[in-house]
Amino acid sequence: MAYSRLRRLLAFDRQIRRDGTQSPVFLHRRDRRFALDCQDRNETPSVDRWLVHLERVGRMGGKDSHQSRLAASAPEQTLIKWRRLLATFALFGVIFGIVAMAGLLYYEGGQRINLTVLLAFAALQSLLALITIVQSTVNWQPWRPVLRRLGLGGRESPLKPLMPALMARVAHTGGVCFGLAGVATLLVLVVIQDLAFGWSTTLSTSAEGYHQLLGTIAWPWQHLWPTAVPDLALVDATRFFRAEASSGEADPELWGQWWPFAVMVWLVYVVMPRLAGLVLAQLQLHLRARRALASHPGMVALEYRMETPTVDTGNQHHDALDSPDEQTAAQCQALPDSQILIYWAGADDPELPDSLSAGHLLTESAGGQRSLADDEQAIERCNDLLAKQAKPAVTLVTRAWEPPIAELKDFIEAARNHWPKKTRIALLPFTSGATQLNSLQQLGQWLRFVDRLNDEQVCVSQPDLRSPESRAYEPKPEGLK
Amino acid sequence: MAEAPVFAVVGHPNKGKSSIVATLSQNDAIAIALEPGTTRKRQAYPLSVDGHRVYTLVDTPGFQRPRRVLEWLEAHSVSVSDRAETVKAFVTQFQDDTRFADECELLAPLTEGAGVIYVVDGSIPYSPQHEAEMTILRWTGRPSLALINSIGPDDYSDTWQRALGQFFQVVRRFDAVRAPFEQHLSLLKTFGQLEPEWEAPLNEATRYLSEQRHQRRRESATLIANTLEGMMSFREQRTLTVQQVTEMSDQALADQLRDQWYKHQRKKEEHLRIAIERLYQHNRVQRQEAELVWHSEHDLFSENSRAAWGVDRRYLATAGFGAGAVSGVGIDAATLGHSLGTGALIGGLIGAAGSYYYGDRLALPVLKIGVLKNGIRTASFGPVQDSQFGYVVLGRAINHWWHISQRNHAGRELLDLAPADDHWMESLDRRSRQTIHQVFDQCRKKRPLDDKTRQTFRDAIDAAMTEFDHWRLNQP
Repeated sequence: MAYSRLRRLLAFDRQIRRDGTQSPVFLHRRDRRFALDCQDRNETPSVDRWLVHLERVGRMGGKDSHQSRLAASAPEQTLIKWRRLLATFALFGVIFGIVAMAGLLYYEGGQRINLTVLLAFAALQSLLALITIVQSTVNWQPWRPVLRRLGLGGRESPLKPLMPALMARVAHTGGVCFGLAGVATLLVLVVIQDLAFGWSTTLSTSAEGYHQLLGTIAWPWQHLWPTAVPDLALVDATRFFRAEASSGEADPELWGQWWPFAVMVWLVYVVMPRLAGLVLAQLQLHLRARRALASHPGMVALEYRMETPTVDTGNQHHDALDSPDEQTAAQCQALPDSQILIYWAGADDPELPDSLSAGHLLTESAGGQRSLADDEQAIERCNDLLAKQAKPAVTLVTRAWEPPIAELKDFIEAARNHWPKKTRIALLPFTSGATQLNSLQQLGQWLRFVDRLNDEQVCVSQPDLRSPESRAYEPKPEGLK
Repeated sequence: MAEAPVFAVVGHPNKGKSSIVATLSQNDAIAIALEPGTTRKRQAYPLSVDGHRVYTLVDTPGFQRPRRVLEWLEAHSVSVSDRAETVKAFVTQFQDDTRFADECELLAPLTEGAGVIYVVDGSIPYSPQHEAEMTILRWTGRPSLALINSIGPDDYSDTWQRALGQFFQVVRRFDAVRAPFEQHLSLLKTFGQLEPEWEAPLNEATRYLSEQRHQRRRESATLIANTLEGMMSFREQRTLTVQQVTEMSDQALADQLRDQWYKHQRKKEEHLRIAIERLYQHNRVQRQEAELVWHSEHDLFSENSRAAWGVDRRYLATAGFGAGAVSGVGIDAATLGHSLGTGALIGGLIGAAGSYYYGDRLALPVLKIGVLKNGIRTASFGPVQDSQFGYVVLGRAINHWWHISQRNHAGRELLDLAPADDHWMESLDRRSRQTIHQVFDQCRKKRPLDDKTRQTFRDAIDAAMTEFDHWRLNQP
């Protein structure tokens, strides 16, 4: 029972340590899922169930992995060490019990077995049991370095707060074995030998006084086993002095009548305190193991993870690597000497500077708030003028910060189908004021747009803000003439 | 159970639709680029609580041929009552037509019952040129909200707000890159106000998101506390054989140990950074470059770092007194109070004196080279004996946490971890100071921490995080 609690605590601690390498988000998802599964089955999500669940899902298809076996065996290893320590104490308890009792009852036929020594020894055992009980209750651990050397009391061990109770249990087990082996030895010797008990003391005490003391000692079993309570006559008859040559006055049978009292003294004052200590240690172990598990930092976190719903904000989809190619080979070209200016989607607001807008024979608007029919009419009107020109060219002004959309593409394609084939179309992405801050980035999207159109007659031009007069005297670039 | 609300984020290309979705869905892996056509397919981003959808955001491509779509709709509609049906018919008719692929992608969720979140860029001047697309959206008959997102430095929000008010039920301003978390929640609550039955799920979502944020903060404090404990108590050890001893001088051994020690500490710090970033779902933070710059100018172990993140001698003395006094109380307890508090006083004075004395020394970790014994020699470096080291690591970690917790998932800029120019920790409450100092002392003395101390240490780190948050928010 106690071992199952310890095993649970050790296994839990082990699992929490293993979880330390996992991300908190994963742990939350895992444990919340477990809690929800328990809820579906109308079960309380206990630590035992949690551990069993993790062990089951950790087996990976029914086969125990080496890792999981190691993980499962680690708590067992610690408990085995404690079991071995317990067995060692029990064994030594038995041996010492036999030896001690044999020593106490050593009788070669001459001297009596002094009951006073037996009583003193039993009192000492009671005192030792009491010290062990107090020690485990106040958490005093004088043997901690020894345990650490044996690998039982590591600083990080979850059993650390249980050490006093564990050690007390070991000590009391040894004590119980000692006591029982003593009683057994006493009974065997009673059967196979004629033990001659007597009492002796240097102190000047009367038989009445001694009888009163023995009566007090025998109080616990006076009703249970009256024969084991010595009467005054026996006490009076069995006093001996070592200086006496012989004590032949007393009936030899009387010397042997003490054994029930001796057995009961041993049982009540040696075995019983140890048994009581063992029960108390076991109880302490239960309580402390439960408290240690409840106050384990991992338990608080686990309960929180089980109770709190997992929130998935929808971040599974990844397409950041699927971004469009922002490279382009297209270059800005000089503005052609066009006589037609078309403002696309409200590009006439803000107005173009005079250096760009002046000197054009025809100014049109298309896109944006204009209807598709308006666009077609504008294309027709431009066509009339372009048909008369030797070097037809159109300047299409756009808002540089607005992205080029498919409607503009449709417009350019429709215009190219209507206008003379050699008509050059110069896209003029125009910026003004603060929007110029992003002009380079904005220009890039227009260059890529023209690149995608794959039409040699369409290009992107940067605004030339010089006056028309100064432009008139400027030598024309090759290809635009 | 009512179906979870769906919100389609629509608009002209390049107005920050994906940024809005990235921030609200806490997804930094959504492609965001100033290039029309970056989003080609609609993509759903559901917010789920325990696997149940609470609401879904749908990122959509921008309008490409709005006038052509509107012309078709007008040509096929007889009255106002059939407009929504006409939009649906348009999607049905053109869903396989490449010319209207983008329009079908963005209109499809609206015909299936999604709410409209129309996004415009408030940093560029208002233009009535987009009225065709706004009209199409109005034709869908779906509850609608307009968001003014500001991509550039200019602000034309007022004009936009007035104009959008004519087309949309609600108009809100929201900076996808810079809006604080409280504004995310407020925006989601506004989504819920578009339809009465959407209010409850959106309120539920904001509650869970708020709890999740608190939880992340607690977990960050735990991560920082655990890392600090590990770094402050770390000792680099090496066992050498006779041959190795003869081949290597003491100086070379010391240098190697020191290098390994520094390397380990930097690795631990890097792990902490990554863990906190993952916690806040920042998986693509460009910190590599920032970290290199950070390390070259403000190296963890440099005097500059100490000046930026360390604490002054007065702080150390105060914290040291508190920590020493706590230790001294043990003496008073042992004497059952007969020492009349002398233990606490003496302990406090010793702690304060020690901290003051060592406060301006960047003491190196202890280097110990053992004697040759049984053909084996052991050498160790660490733990660090200077509490300032802990304060430097703590300051840097909290600074990083703060930047990550404040960073929106639409942000793509380099994470700039500028060092603090003020000793913000000095306004931390006395109890937290003492706890931090005491833990640092215990770690450097290689004394293990018990669970209770660990818990109070985590609480103290949490308090320091709160203090840093206040300090940052009150920065001019």
